Amino acid sequence: MRPPRFTATALLALVWLGAALAILQGFATSRLPSAVDASLVAHVTGMAAGYGAAIMLILMSRSPWLERDIGADRLARWHAWAGPVVILLTIVHAMAAVKAWAEARSIDLGAAAKDLLRIPGLTTALVGTAILVLVGLASLRTLRRRLSYEQWHFLHLLTYLAVAFGFVHQLAGPDLVGRRALQIAWSLLYTYAFALVLRWRLLQPLFQLWRHRLRVEEVRQESPDVMSVLMSGQHLDELRAEPGQFFRWRFLTAKTWSSAYPFSLSAPPTRHLLRITVKACGDGTRRIFRVPVGTLVFAEGPYGVITSRRRRRPRVLLIAGGVGISPMRALFEVIDLPGRDVTLVYRAAKEQDLVFKHELDEIAERSGARVVYLVGPSGDAANDMSAPALGRIVGDLSDHDVYLCASPRLAASVRESLMDRGFPRHQLHEERFSF
Amino acid sequence: MSDTAIEFGRRIPRITRLSLAASPFLIRWTLRVVTLILFSAATAFGISLGMSAPEISPASVVQHDATPPDL
Repeated sequence: MRPPRFTATALLALVWLGAALAILQGFATSRLPSAVDASLVAHVTGMAAGYGAAIMLILMSRSPWLERDIGADRLARWHAWAGPVVILLTIVHAMAAVKAWAEARSIDLGAAAKDLLRIPGLTTALVGTAILVLVGLASLRTLRRRLSYEQWHFLHLLTYLAVAFGFVHQLAGPDLVGRRALQIAWSLLYTYAFALVLRWRLLQPLFQLWRHRLRVEEVRQESPDVMSVLMSGQHLDELRAEPGQFFRWRFLTAKTWSSAYPFSLSAPPTRHLLRITVKACGDGTRRIFRVPVGTLVFAEGPYGVITSRRRRRPRVLLIAGGVGISPMRALFEVIDLPGRDVTLVYRAAKEQDLVFKHELDEIAERSGARVVYLVGPSGDAANDMSAPALGRIVGDLSDHDVYLCASPRLAASVRESLMDRGFPRHQLHEERFSF
Repeated sequence: MSDTAIEFGRRIPRITRLSLAASPFLIRWTLRVVTLILFSAATAFGISLGMSAPEISPASVVQHDATPPDL
């Protein structure tokens, strides 16, 4: 395996360095007041928010070097953490700016806001801020539950517009204005961020659609609420997809084209065939079950780093819960070890929820690997998935690389149990997703 | 948008043939060149934006008796 060219730590250091420089510029412009006042807050938060917005775009640009070396789940977590911070900074900036203006002119806040909106670029910045606030509200847990994935996704796409609106104001703002080198550097930060988004979120999937002509070949029922979608295409080997990886799929029918869903490959890819396995979780996923054979598929990817390349130890334990079996099923077939010391522990609530049982048994029989099914209520001692229980199944856990894919709750419980028992973090491979 | 409209891709055989015939080597280099062009354009556009950015804060266009706090 190639060593990562850009580790998470190095990238974070670079991002924080940039943030520090942006904030320092905010301090410099406010002429170092003796006390923290509204003007200083406006300058510092404005610079930090503007910088943060560009970084958010870069982190979510799907650039292969970021996806490969950092991991899509970690990038998504950074985005989920920093996104609200950027929105908060933007709001504080706007409020502090109005207050500073009002104080400097001895007028009330309403008159100050009215004055500020007369400044060129401020109206668009206000619209951008309003969009960001809307996105922030939609991402609050209580509201997010009431929104469909499609609605939430659409709102998120509006952030591009919000960021572009904000940029117009930033370039003419007091922290950059008249400083030609800074204005050029700031412009380049934004044009590169948008170029990355354009290259990897639009051009690449369009190219893949043209080159691979991916189409739905078959939709196959695996269990009452789980289906597999088989897709055929040309030159699929050029995608260099590996078991354990995922794509973001957009099925081009009238009802499904607007949403892209992340689903893992549930079988090793071939030159002409890809397979994913989907559980019905809402209206969007149920619509995928009904896509007609022949539907064109717009695929972004492959992404994800929980592949067999991560393996370092002589033995492997794959842990799957529910539909988390998808990537584990693909990995189970290809993890290549001398003597095949591979164990798959597959947890399901009911017998009929087990998918791929026939395939898994067949792979195990062929390769000498082992499958352990844990079926039934989670309270049942036989279905315990704590570190000691897993140890009883596979022996010494420290000899293993553990691959984990399960519901957030089950994954968290297994992870915590492993960590509590001192299992090395670098031997646990998982990608966590939730929208 | 109707399914028929989206499925229109089926009826472009020439483009399909082109995509199927091109060698991986050619495809790889074409993508590299496209990326290079895109980022060259982004560089040129970024510099141009920076060069044409205002030299005086637009806040100064808002006329008022008091001195603006330079926001």
